[in-house]
Amino acid sequence: MNTTTMSSVAAAHDSRSITTGWAARGVIAGILALAILPLLPVGSFVLSIGTTAFITAIAAASLHLLIRTGHVSLGHAAFMGIGAYASVLVTMKLQLPFVVGLVAAFVAPAILALLIGPLVLRLAGKYFVLVTFLFGEIVRMVFVEWTGVTGGANGIPGVPPPHRLLLDPQAYYYFALGFAIVLVGFIGRLLSSEIGRSIDAIREGENLAECSGVPVLRMKVCIFGLSCGIVGIAGALQGHFVRYIDPTSFSMIQSLNLVVVNVIGGMYALVGPIIGTAFFMITPELLRDYVELQRVIFGVIIIVVIAFFPGGLVEIAQRRAHALRGKRKAGS
Amino acid sequence: MLSPIVIVQVVVNGVGLAAIYILVALGFTLLFGIMRVVNFAHGAFAMLGGYALYYLYSVYDAPYLLAAPVAALFVAAAALVLERFVYRRFYQKMFQSMIALLGLDMAIASTALIIWDSHERSIKPAVSEILQFGGIIVPADKLVIVAVAATALAAFYLFTHFTRAGLAMRAAAQDVETAEAQGIDTRVTYQLSFFIAIFMAALAGGFYGQTYALSPFMGERPLMMAFIVVILGGMGSIPGVALGGLLLGLGESFLSTFYGSSVSVFVSFGAVILLLVFRPWGLLGTPEK
Repeated sequence: MNTTTMSSVAAAHDSRSITTGWAARGVIAGILALAILPLLPVGSFVLSIGTTAFITAIAAASLHLLIRTGHVSLGHAAFMGIGAYASVLVTMKLQLPFVVGLVAAFVAPAILALLIGPLVLRLAGKYFVLVTFLFGEIVRMVFVEWTGVTGGANGIPGVPPPHRLLLDPQAYYYFALGFAIVLVGFIGRLLSSEIGRSIDAIREGENLAECSGVPVLRMKVCIFGLSCGIVGIAGALQGHFVRYIDPTSFSMIQSLNLVVVNVIGGMYALVGPIIGTAFFMITPELLRDYVELQRVIFGVIIIVVIAFFPGGLVEIAQRRAHALRGKRKAGS
Repeated sequence: MLSPIVIVQVVVNGVGLAAIYILVALGFTLLFGIMRVVNFAHGAFAMLGGYALYYLYSVYDAPYLLAAPVAALFVAAAALVLERFVYRRFYQKMFQSMIALLGLDMAIASTALIIWDSHERSIKPAVSEILQFGGIIVPADKLVIVAVAATALAAFYLFTHFTRAGLAMRAAAQDVETAEAQGIDTRVTYQLSFFIAIFMAALAGGFYGQTYALSPFMGERPLMMAFIVVILGGMGSIPGVALGGLLLGLGESFLSTFYGSSVSVFVSFGAVILLLVFRPWGLLGTPEK
């Protein structure tokens, strides 16, 4: 991780042009729109895209939490997978209720993260990227090789839904939306608290933060554990929604997608991963008429966004807001 | 089990693998060391090299020793267009380059999928004889690969140690600003390093396609191996790549012969993670200030 670009990007975001009132109104409007959507005559296809988007948003927001400490993980999907497998195994093999599965989905990846955290979080940014990348691959291989428990490369089919009522796509849509609101809201609250300021301080200058009394390593390990626990919940939601889990759903590609969602959206504000998720889910649908070219165009879009807006899509919005405000000032 | 014959066999296989790994990883580390670009599209260029060799050698029947370098040259020359329009924007921007080149990788691999569809092709072996020296069986094909790879690596060594352009490249790899202050035209140096890096990746891709099979997504594994070799040797260190490639190639050959391929991957990944935790700058790299 190149710290100079990071801090310059962060600096650009310090001049936040969207005021709190506006942001709050935007959030409420967005949630209302999402809540009304299933009442409109849309097919179950749209609902399923929406549900997947909420799950992706949770996962991306949890990675955002970690990124705010200055550590980009390329193995986040592995923790998502651990959560999914934990929940599925608890509900299917142990025949326990879904709630217990959900707890397992949070606890299992969080404990693993707390165990490896103290070792890997000492590493500077770019080495952390590499370690998590390899770690993710190892976890994926464990999923493949531990056939007795994980079903190997074939995965586990026939995963039960969390509740019999949640077989209905519309019900699951609201279920996932609820989780997304609560978890993303929690992350947002955490980031705007005292802890959030410590996190930003750690990213901007670890030594300075340490000197100012922030327990840097302990804080980073806790955030890492929390982030991995939340993404584990996202994994469980996905497993019980798709009703099938297999190692490829939690491979490096998926980890990379989560990073791309964050970078495309913007890395230093929580709206970033949310906008990124929307972009990531909607663009391929818009390109549906060009199925073959879909991924080519998507790849090109990623290049263009990164080349011209290193701060992500959020930066575009902020530049516009800036320009608007400039005009208003000139007018008055 | 552990007879000398088996050991020699294992070593020969290991050196064959190491040759491919070193070629891919050398380009990868060159791009990282000089331009601070994490080339996630490196595997895609290896894939293109594979297809270029397929057309020149399997379809148009050019002689192998001509087809292999010409195919790689062709890919590297075509890649210069991408250097101009994509790579140049991301020099010295490590993190952004990572994401953008991931997008590039996606674009190239998906384009390849449209052109060549997903079914696997094979490149016929350069020579089909099997050599036997007192019980040791070696496919001659493998020796040709090792020989061509060794020639390319030797040429690279001579170039970087005995020509002005090569010295400039190494100087830029050590410290770009100081190199510029000494009058090195970094733009030309960047272009040259890029060309050489892609050339080696494409060459390795041909060998890789020949050893395994050719498909639009075959680049993933060489990319991963390059990643590991580079971490093992130290990011940006050229001798580190040689050491890392040899260790990984021999280790993989040895472990997969005696314990199976999944054990070999577990052990090599695990070892690299331990190395990263305790010596993140790699075996031959230098710690950052």
